[in-house]
Amino acid sequence: MEDIRLLLVDDEADFRKTLVKRLKRRGIDPQEACSGEECLAELEASPMDVVVLDVKMPGMDGIETLRQIKRQYPQTEVIMLTGHATTRDGVDGIKQGAFDYLSKPIELDHLMGKIKQAHDKILREEEKRREAEFRARMEQQMIATERLASLGTLAAGVAHEINNPLAIIKESAGWMGAILNKEDLADMPRKADFRLALDKIEKGVERTRRITHQLLGTVKQTDSAAVEVDIQELVDEAADLIAKEAGHKDVEIIRNLDASVGTLWSDPYKLRQVLINLLTNAIHATPSGGKVTISSEPMEHKVVIHIEDTGQGIPRENLDKIFEPFFSTKPPGEGTGLGLFVSRSIVEKLGGTLTVESQLGHGSRFTVRLPEYTRIVNGDGEREGPSV
Amino acid sequence: MIRIPTRVLVVDDEKEFVEMLSLRLQEVGEKVTAAYSGRECLDMLKDTQIDVVILDIKMPGMDGMETLREIKKRFPLVEVIMLTGHGSAETAVEGMKLGAYDYLMKPADFDDLTTKLQGARKRKEEQEERIRAAEARLLVRKAGGPI
Repeated sequence: MEDIRLLLVDDEADFRKTLVKRLKRRGIDPQEACSGEECLAELEASPMDVVVLDVKMPGMDGIETLRQIKRQYPQTEVIMLTGHATTRDGVDGIKQGAFDYLSKPIELDHLMGKIKQAHDKILREEEKRREAEFRARMEQQMIATERLASLGTLAAGVAHEINNPLAIIKESAGWMGAILNKEDLADMPRKADFRLALDKIEKGVERTRRITHQLLGTVKQTDSAAVEVDIQELVDEAADLIAKEAGHKDVEIIRNLDASVGTLWSDPYKLRQVLINLLTNAIHATPSGGKVTISSEPMEHKVVIHIEDTGQGIPRENLDKIFEPFFSTKPPGEGTGLGLFVSRSIVEKLGGTLTVESQLGHGSRFTVRLPEYTRIVNGDGEREGPSV
Repeated sequence: MIRIPTRVLVVDDEKEFVEMLSLRLQEVGEKVTAAYSGRECLDMLKDTQIDVVILDIKMPGMDGMETLREIKKRFPLVEVIMLTGHGSAETAVEGMKLGAYDYLMKPADFDDLTTKLQGARKRKEEQEERIRAAEARLLVRKAGGPI
C-alpha cells in the first residue's frame, strides 16, 4: 500500500488537509489538486494509480473530470466523493467508469478499504496485461519457429530437385573439358577462353552443390552416434583446425577452459562442426590484432561453452536474423548464410541451445549450452544414451 | 600403352544425366552403355558384357536397391557403384552389404568416380582370375594329374 500513487482532488482546502494528514498516518502520501483542471495537469506530469475525486467543484466538475481521466488514462482508477444527499452523482460516476463512490462525510476506514480494492484491481489488470503480452510473444515465437521449419522442408525439397540438373551441368562441363584435352584440339583457337569459362561453370556448380548439401544436412541428419566426448579435446581439435586461418589474419585464439569442464555424452562430429562454424565466424568478424576467446563455465549437469570475439559486433536488428537461413552479411559467394542456421539446428537436436549476445563495436559472444547426457533421437525413434 | 576400356553401364532415369556422363566417360576412354530403368539394366546385362554398373538409387518403378539385389543374384561378378542423394548414406551402406563396390553422392566428383571405377574393375578382374585358377586346378585334378 505504501507505494500506491494517490491523488486527492477537492476544492475545499481544509477537507484536503485533514484527509491528507490522516492518510499519511496510514502510510499513504497523496498528491493534492484543488480542481479538475489541476487534477488533469497533475496526471499529465506524473501518472497515478488512484484518484479520489470530489464530484462538486467549481469549474470543471467531478463527472467531467472523471470522463477526461478515463479517456486519457484508462488504467487509473477513480473513487468519487459525493455529498450525502446526492448519491445519484455517484451512480452516474460509476456509469462513466469510476471504481466506486463514497458519500461525505467519509469514514477513513471505508476510504482506505476502497483505495486498497482499487489498487488490487490495478495489479490484477497489470498481471492480465503481462500475461497477454507473454502469450502474444509466445505465439509470435511459435509462428517464427513453424515458419522456419516449413522453410527448411521446402529448402530441402528444392535442394534435392536442384541436385539432378546440377549433375547434368557438371558432367556436360566436364565432358567439354575432356574434349579440350584431346590431341586433335591441341591447336584450337581461343582454347584458353573456353577453359576459363568451363572453370567458371565448374566453380559455380561446386558453390551450388555446397549450398544444396548444407541445406539437406539441416533436415536429414543421419548417422548420429553418441559417444563420450572430452570437451577439452574437442575444443583443441577445432581450434587447431582453424589456427592457420587465424594466423593469417593475425587473430589470437585464447583457450580458457575450466579444468572441470569434463566430458559430455554427445555426437563429436556434429559438435566439432558447430565449434568450427562459430570459430570461423568469430575470426571473420575480428580485425587483425583482435582476439577470439573460447571459455567454459562450470555448471551442474550442463556444459556451457562461450566463443567470444573482439569484432565489430552485431547490430540489434540483426540479432534475431542471424540464425535464419540465407541471412549473411558477407559478399555473395563468400558465405552461404547457412552456418549459424545449421549450427543452431545441430545444437537443438542435441538437446541444447545456441544463443548470442553482442555489443556493437565491442564484439559478440556465442554460447552453446548442452545437457551433460545428451540423448539423440534416431529416425526410428530409438534412443541412445549412456547405459550407466 | 594401350588402355583396355572398362565396360560401364550407366543406369539412371534422368536421361540427360546418363547422356552427358556417358559422353564424358567415353571421352576418357571407357566403353559405355546406357539404361534408363532397373528393368532395362537387367535386360542389358543379359546380352552385353559389363564390368561395372553405375546405378542411381532413386528411380521410379524398380528402384536402385531392388535392381542391385537382382544384379547380385543373376550376375554376381558384375560390380556396382551406387549414386545416392544426400542423406541416403544409410541406404548406400546397406547396398554395400548387399555386394555393391562403393557409392558416390550426387553430383559426384569425376576423379572420385574414375578412381572407384578402376577399383571396381580391378576387384572384378581379380575375382575372375581366381575363378580361372580354380577352374584350372579342377581340370588338372579331373584329368588325373599330380596333386
